[in-house]
Amino acid sequence: MTKSEHDDDRALEALFARARSHPPEMPEHLLARVLDDARHLQPTRAGSLFGGWWRMLGGLPGLGGLVTATCVGFWLGVAPPDGMPDLADQILGQQVVMDETAPDLSGFGWDSEEG
Amino acid sequence: MRHFPPDPAPDAEALLLARYAGGDAAAARLLAVQLAPRLFAHAVRVLGDGHEAEDVTQEALLRLWKIAPDWRAGEAKVSTWCYRVVANLCTDRLRKRRSVPLDEVAEPEDPRPDAAQQLQQRARVDALQAALQSLPDRQRQAVVLRHIEGLANPEIAQILDIGVEAVESLTARGKRGLAAALAGQKEALGYET
Repeated sequence: MTKSEHDDDRALEALFARARSHPPEMPEHLLARVLDDARHLQPTRAGSLFGGWWRMLGGLPGLGGLVTATCVGFWLGVAPPDGMPDLADQILGQQVVMDETAPDLSGFGWDSEEG
Repeated sequence: MRHFPPDPAPDAEALLLARYAGGDAAAARLLAVQLAPRLFAHAVRVLGDGHEAEDVTQEALLRLWKIAPDWRAGEAKVSTWCYRVVANLCTDRLRKRRSVPLDEVAEPEDPRPDAAQQLQQRARVDALQAALQSLPDRQRQAVVLRHIEGLANPEIAQILDIGVEAVESLTARGKRGLAAALAGQKEALGYET
């Protein structure tokens, strides 16, 4: 670096330092305008609570999966494919059997005791 | 667009932005007080016009408020993102200025003795500002960000969407341009050695 370049560098650094110590003064009304925008655009707390639930569910893809799983489960319950145990029928059938067998008291041997 | 690695350092401004998105009204004021003066100063230095710098600062922060709920922490610093928006808005305005012939530029209707005009008047006598205005846009942005705002070259590279070597080249050429522009004013500026 020549002496002239060195001098230029020093002179520029002095000007930069002066510019850093005297930044352009921001007008007060600009801060007011900025804060006014922020107030208008700020999400509400209720909105953020909903947003939290929405994000927890995984957003739209997550909700889509949830709805699909619910529909498939409901359909399997109503019309199960062949070869699959029909739990609904088993439960209902067992209740019918219980109703039919309840009056049959012979199992307890009461009929033999009474003759 | 270049992709830079995420910044692992904790970003206090990102935390404030998250608080704002969560409904904390005080966070907006804290963020605005931290960011607005720096963005405004950069815009004034690049545009040389206080009124335009006000609009650019407001627009940049408006975009920040809008993106707040979707902000992804760790990808970029909030201040870097804001500087980048300001830099792009300034570039757009400087391009528009060049595309409008001087005789079609409307005269100011009613000059007001407000702070912005005082600032503009001060800028007229500010030798550094005048010299900055003589530089090409990108050189001016790089010099202001590096030597006045004091940002590091990698951050300037993110703001201007260029490589670090390109930043070094821009600032070096910018400084040479400034030295040439100020060559005849050394004595008047009081730094003749």
